[in-house]
Amino acid sequence: MTERIAQHPDLPLFSSPKKSFSFTFNGKTIEAHEGDTVASALIAAGVRITSRSFKYHRPRGPKDNFGQGPELLMTVDHAPNVRSDMIPVRAGMQVETQNAWPSTQLDLMSINNFAVPLLPNGFYYKMFHKPKWLWPIAERFIRKAAGLGKIDTQGRAVDTRYEKRYRFPDVCVVGSGPAGLASVKAALDAGKQVLLIEEQEQLGGHSRHTVFKVENCREKKLNGLTEQEAVRSLIDEIEKHPNLEILSQTQAFAVYEDNLVAAQRGTELFKIRAISVVFAPGATDRHLVFDNNDKPGIMTGRGVERLIALHGIKPARRAVVITTHDGGYHTAKLLHGAGTEVLAVVDGRQKPPKNDWVDGIRKLGIPIFEGKTIHRVKGLNQVKKVEIGDLHGQFSSLSFACDLVVLAVGYQPQLNLLSQGRTRPVWDKKRQILRVTDLPQNIYAAGEVQGSASFARLYQEGFEAGRAAAQQSSLSESQRDENELIEALPADIESGGKHHFICPCMDVTRSEACHSIEEGFDQVETLKRYSSMGMGPCQGKTCHEAVARLAARDTGLSETEAVPTTMRPPLSPVSFGILAGRAPHLVPQRRTAMHHCHRKAGAAFLNAGQWKRPHSYLPPQEEALMVRKGLGIIDVSTLGKLELSGPDVMDFLHFMLPGKFRQLAVGRVRYSTMIGEDGILFEDGTISHLEEGVYYLSTTTGNQAAIESLFRWWVLTDQFKVHIKNLAPVHAAVNVAGEKSREFIQKLVDIDMSNEAFPYMACRKSTIADVPVLLFRIGFTGELGYEIHFPSEFGAPLWEYFLEQGKSYPLKPFGVETQRILRLEKGHLIPGVDTDALSNPYEAGVDFTVKEDKENFVGKAFLKNFKERGIENKLVSYKLNSADPIPEDGVAILKNGKIIGRVTSSRMSPTLGFGIGLAWVPRDLSGAGSRFQIRLANGQDVTAETLDHAAYDPQGERLTS
Amino acid sequence: MSFMLTCPNCGKRQVGEFTFRGYFKSRPQQSDDFASWTSYVYFNKNKIGKQWEWWNHASGCQRWFIVDRDSAKSTDHQSVWFENRKTLEHE
Ligand SMILES: [Zn+2]
Repeated sequence: MTERIAQHPDLPLFSSPKKSFSFTFNGKTIEAHEGDTVASALIAAGVRITSRSFKYHRPRGPKDNFGQGPELLMTVDHAPNVRSDMIPVRAGMQVETQNAWPSTQLDLMSINNFAVPLLPNGFYYKMFHKPKWLWPIAERFIRKAAGLGKIDTQGRAVDTRYEKRYRFPDVCVVGSGPAGLASVKAALDAGKQVLLIEEQEQLGGHSRHTVFKVENCREKKLNGLTEQEAVRSLIDEIEKHPNLEILSQTQAFAVYEDNLVAAQRGTELFKIRAISVVFAPGATDRHLVFDNNDKPGIMTGRGVERLIALHGIKPARRAVVITTHDGGYHTAKLLHGAGTEVLAVVDGRQKPPKNDWVDGIRKLGIPIFEGKTIHRVKGLNQVKKVEIGDLHGQFSSLSFACDLVVLAVGYQPQLNLLSQGRTRPVWDKKRQILRVTDLPQNIYAAGEVQGSASFARLYQEGFEAGRAAAQQSSLSESQRDENELIEALPADIESGGKHHFICPCMDVTRSEACHSIEEGFDQVETLKRYSSMGMGPCQGKTCHEAVARLAARDTGLSETEAVPTTMRPPLSPVSFGILAGRAPHLVPQRRTAMHHCHRKAGAAFLNAGQWKRPHSYLPPQEEALMVRKGLGIIDVSTLGKLELSGPDVMDFLHFMLPGKFRQLAVGRVRYSTMIGEDGILFEDGTISHLEEGVYYLSTTTGNQAAIESLFRWWVLTDQFKVHIKNLAPVHAAVNVAGEKSREFIQKLVDIDMSNEAFPYMACRKSTIADVPVLLFRIGFTGELGYEIHFPSEFGAPLWEYFLEQGKSYPLKPFGVETQRILRLEKGHLIPGVDTDALSNPYEAGVDFTVKEDKENFVGKAFLKNFKERGIENKLVSYKLNSADPIPEDGVAILKNGKIIGRVTSSRMSPTLGFGIGLAWVPRDLSGAGSRFQIRLANGQDVTAETLDHAAYDPQGERLTS
Repeated sequence: MSFMLTCPNCGKRQVGEFTFRGYFKSRPQQSDDFASWTSYVYFNKNKIGKQWEWWNHASGCQRWFIVDRDSAKSTDHQSVWFENRKTLEHE
């Protein structure tokens, strides 16, 4: 029975929530108060069963209300697996339960529960492993039975925008309890930039619901206040500090090398690179194993305190508090003040100390049972009765009828972030906790993660950690007094019964774990994998300590040898959207200097690496004919352009490229391939001798950065005295192609453009409209044409000048797709399109660029080997009959039903009126006139004929005349 | 990989700014047999532990340099210019 409360005698800062609003839960309208989480609103509305367990579909209810276990995972506004106790509820939210069919209240799958003995550990694995044919059917059943939330395949949440954000603080503090706040203060005092991450909406950690009095604190003004008041005062002091950024409602879910902390807030991913990180994540109530320890109505001490102090909820009518330390008395006091009848405090200590808290409970007339603990709870769907007895579960002596059992039996540190993939926590015999002692440089841990302690000590430890983090100095070993230690109960109270759940996420009981050990999985890591303990949604946050202690015990080790399994990121569920971020993210988009001219002209664009290039302005087939019959211009600014000079430049060219260039006179251009050390063709381009000792190398769009860095590497390793100047971003470039291009350009320049003065494969310097230009007479398109390179700041004005001056022809722009058709008519290959990582220059038909008789050059050893091996396959031009359909790029070439080759580029030739292309075929089909079958994507075959020359202008007369 | 790599020119930067060109190895002589070229090109050691590596500050100063790095513990490394590689302790 839950109720809202309006005031509380023990909580000085208590303020009853004012505004209320509504949201829906499985379609039903639920009232919520301001400040509620989804879970607290549901609890206040009396919802006790919030999910069904993974394997047995047992009812599960709220436990710690702190995002630790799987019980409160829900689908919120179509997003699955949201920790409903960690997010504030908002008006109109749509909340649904998961993993229950047809509903959480009546789950028909819970029949599994009654069949516990029939579902041994590894059941699914063993049962459905063989025969193989059964698996698809079984899998469908298992998935339905075990689904944890459903992905929104309807895309109802696709308008969500994910963002990545970056922070570079001096000190990053995770957790804002007493230790975290003290760390922040110390680091701020040292003048550092500080980033504070807090999971909850409000700062303060467990102290927000704690009213122990602060004593002996180094921060004198806090003494005499309650912890609640003390953290409030600290927050007020630092909150507005200009050097502090607070990320609340933010979950740090991973820590990587060199202090990279990953955190999420809603749909934002924060990548935080801090010089130092202080982890003060605190601790949660210990998970205790006993019979029916998973029943709804069993909550942790702090879980109950949160409901009372933060949400104003009286959580039950009658409660029994199970404890081993004064914190249980604190919880009992808060429960009593909220109006819950506390039937008993069951203290595992033989002799609880005499202090205000214990005496206070006695004075209220609440019976205290010493040296006793919980044995089991009873009740079908929720707690109805609790039985208590001795610490080892042998003799149950008492029982109480109640609707709430509070477990406050010590704290387990939140170790995940501290140990992720680096340090394995060890069992601290004195503090009776798993603890990380050996931390990497510039990572500090403070507070309850080192063991629970008084406020004054948590503050002190946090302050020292903050100061050490600011100075990057070492931190003295953390200390605990005798009276701060909490004795751990046996990890499992062995009181009989079958339902001792070690891992509530994956529904693994103690007896199942023991069976797995008997089957031979007796190392904690294999035991975990076989039994799936700790592999559920909570990733061991709840159960890692119980798993470690019981695994040690059941494999015959002592508890001091207990080690938890490796903890890995993420600490809490992270959606794929968070990791993917906004698309396209962080990839620069590059545009040429003429980009807006193309847009104005109505170009369609394509992506060429990072570049946006015009695909075409008109239908490409029309554009191609326009170039063949008239005059066209294309923006080729994206070409790589390197200027090479220096005393060793010729040696360098001879070493880097497969050809010879000593005969290349000033003013001449040559085509060259580029070959890797593995003898594979990976690039081509032209090399031009601009002036004595200065060479200009043009490369393809995609490779420009890679080739520059490759050249620089070789210059360095082989100590060439060569100067490399990357002119790619400096030079814009166009190609003017068509029969009339000479006549057109002659009008713009004052050099002699005649065939004799400026022949094919030559280059000249000149000016156009007073802009210095480099002219290259080359012909990728197969027409008479000139590439013109000029400073990119004149990109747009010169582009428009060309179009204006060429109006009478008319000169029209054409796009990349059109250029691909034109070059295919000439049979020119494009590296990476028509070649791959197996293409050598002999087979690709560009061996005319290779001069093997050079002494030493990149790729020589492999080229020699390839040459000796001979040609197995060849890249050839082919043509189809005019009536044949055009194959898709990449389709297969077949012979007697076997794949023997493939098409790399395929287009309709508008000039010739039939399909043309490039294809890899076996050597015996590479001779002119050979015929082979191309299989289209739709299954149809067409017959292609191998050509030994370009389909268009085989003699190259148009280029050279 | 999320570590901070030291560029001898620019200092510690996010590793994503750099490109990697394998571990440092000597190119065979042109007269060496084909087997030594094959192992040079294709057979990499994939070593766990310290090795010299080639890194390029591609999204920064564009310089190549040598990093003496423990491939299992990336945070532990030393970066030098190629010319100064002999100052590193071992190869
Ligand atoms: Zn640099």
